[in-house]
Amino acid sequence: MSASGPGGSIFDLGYQSYTGPRLGRQSAVRALFSQTVRSCFGIGRGGRAKIAPFTLAAIAILPAALAVGFAAIAAQAGPGGAVIENASPIRYESYHGLVSVLIMLFCAAQAPELFGRDQRYGTLPLYFSRVLTRVDYSLAKVLGLMVALFAVDVTPYLILFIGRVLVAPDPATGLADEIAMVPRFLLQAVLVAGLLGGIAALIAAWTPRRAYATAAIIAVFIIPPIILAIIYEQSGQELARATILFSPADVLAGTNAAIFGSIPDSPVVAAVDLPGWAYVGAAAIGIVATIGLTVRRYLRIAA
Amino acid sequence: MSLISLNDLTRRYPRGVTALDGLTLDLEPGIIGLVGANGAGKSTLIKILLGLLPPTSGEATVMDLDVRTEGTTIRQFVGYMPEYDCLPPDTSATDFVTHMARMSGLPSAAARERTAEVLRHVGLYEERYRAIGGYSTGMKQRVKLAQALVHDPRLLLLDEPTNGLDPAGRDEMLALVRRTGTEFGIAVVVASHLLGEIERVCDFLVAIDAGHLLRAAPLGTFTERTGVLAVEVEEGEAELTAALLARGLQAVADGRTVLLDVTEDRQYDLVRDAVADLGLPLVRMEQRRQSLEDLFRDDAPGSAVPSGAPSAAPLVGPPPAPPAAPPAASVGGGGPA
Repeated sequence: MSASGPGGSIFDLGYQSYTGPRLGRQSAVRALFSQTVRSCFGIGRGGRAKIAPFTLAAIAILPAALAVGFAAIAAQAGPGGAVIENASPIRYESYHGLVSVLIMLFCAAQAPELFGRDQRYGTLPLYFSRVLTRVDYSLAKVLGLMVALFAVDVTPYLILFIGRVLVAPDPATGLADEIAMVPRFLLQAVLVAGLLGGIAALIAAWTPRRAYATAAIIAVFIIPPIILAIIYEQSGQELARATILFSPADVLAGTNAAIFGSIPDSPVVAAVDLPGWAYVGAAAIGIVATIGLTVRRYLRIAA
Repeated sequence: MSLISLNDLTRRYPRGVTALDGLTLDLEPGIIGLVGANGAGKSTLIKILLGLLPPTSGEATVMDLDVRTEGTTIRQFVGYMPEYDCLPPDTSATDFVTHMARMSGLPSAAARERTAEVLRHVGLYEERYRAIGGYSTGMKQRVKLAQALVHDPRLLLLDEPTNGLDPAGRDEMLALVRRTGTEFGIAVVVASHLLGEIERVCDFLVAIDAGHLLRAAPLGTFTERTGVLAVEVEEGEAELTAALLARGLQAVADGRTVLLDVTEDRQYDLVRDAVADLGLPLVRMEQRRQSLEDLFRDDAPGSAVPSGAPSAAPLVGPPPAPPAAPPAASVGGGGPA
């Protein structure tokens, strides 16, 4: 079909069949995963969606940048530098206390969007009528959120690490001094991203209403430590020890202290005196359980 | 290759509701209408064909693939347009359909190309870059169709595609469905509770009621037997009926309407003369669409319909048209078998 005119012709090519590759389920899952990670940072969602994630990430990085500055000054100061260095409040072991609230806020801002949208707008049937399964969908979403959180959590540690190596009088010895910290902060970041992301995903998957999900996610991280502190005040160590592993924020404070071998920031964590592996084990169980329960939610959801 | 093949397909829901009851059916590619009242089992059948809902018993294959074991492969070649709203309002049609193409396993560049192609085909141009939230219902339905077409399926399952559309929108959507089935060479199953609508686009009609197959046959065999003429008068329907009977026509009064079987053109003249002789105020004469159940009951040997059972209320009728009177239908084909 063509319509000819003085200016030229318009051709209607008709419907073209697609003859290219169909990459199937794996490709769809990968695409959903990377889309999830990107949309955690507001990429592909317009300018306003980028404000919250990038602000939170910038605030998370700021102390690390300051700490590198401290280290640089300390290195300039020569022999007296060690005093300045030790006075710095920003260290690998104290970083969790500085950024965990930001990671929690990141979860509260992004998880409801990731898990609520498709339920609110009825989009789930469109996914499930395609090549990916309900398990694929939920795993891609949960792991996407966790990877985004891991990136936000691990970046300041990396800045701290690279900065400290570079400002050391001799980078080679600097590297030798610092390298032992790498597996530690990687493990802590994995546990933080996994547990906070898993809990946020589970709550958001059950709470399609955005505002409720945000409030619930914040509550789950803020309220248990308060209750635990009251329990500790009122009935002492025994009951606090029995219940502390149900408080995600305290579990992560515990893993941090165990991994870096430091004194816990939380007085309750310090007081209950549980072995480090209990916190790491609790976090690991929490991660597996929240992933499993989120998948289960999507297996049963009507769509 | 058979497009869809069902063998004694049954689906029961946990609380004892039987959505599909022993459906046996063999469908060839084409445009297939799936008619039935709300709750007749249309959506359940579609979900089984997509491999999303396992049959309780019996078998179902789509393109010779078993829905129980090969759902993923089936879904790669099937497009599905759900009945209800399923579009995020804050995304543009382009972004959304591209994403859905990726979710069907298309590479990213191909997903963008196909999106541009199908959006043009469904008639979305400049507006495709705007957020879907600002679209009219008609435009949203087009986006829903586009996302079902974007991966170039071999079979398209459309659940009530004209839902919520005004008459002009319905016409456009039906034309689009027809074009998809004929020009694009894609097999289409259109589920609808509106027979009047569905018969405009289909080659083949499948009617189900309460999970039972009423009838499956080419559309032609249904329309041949719609020779019921409705004559509406403001008054004097009894006299008219008597006059028509006297002229040898089988007429039955139904309210202000007289229904009669018309088999040859000469009979229209008899009706005209009868009305004129009696001096009755004639409102309209129209070819009456029978109610769906009547249409299927006439001569459907071996169908699951309890023949002559007066129990069922008129199953489906095109809502804008007045409902046809159930007893009058026997006028149409010499009585139920």
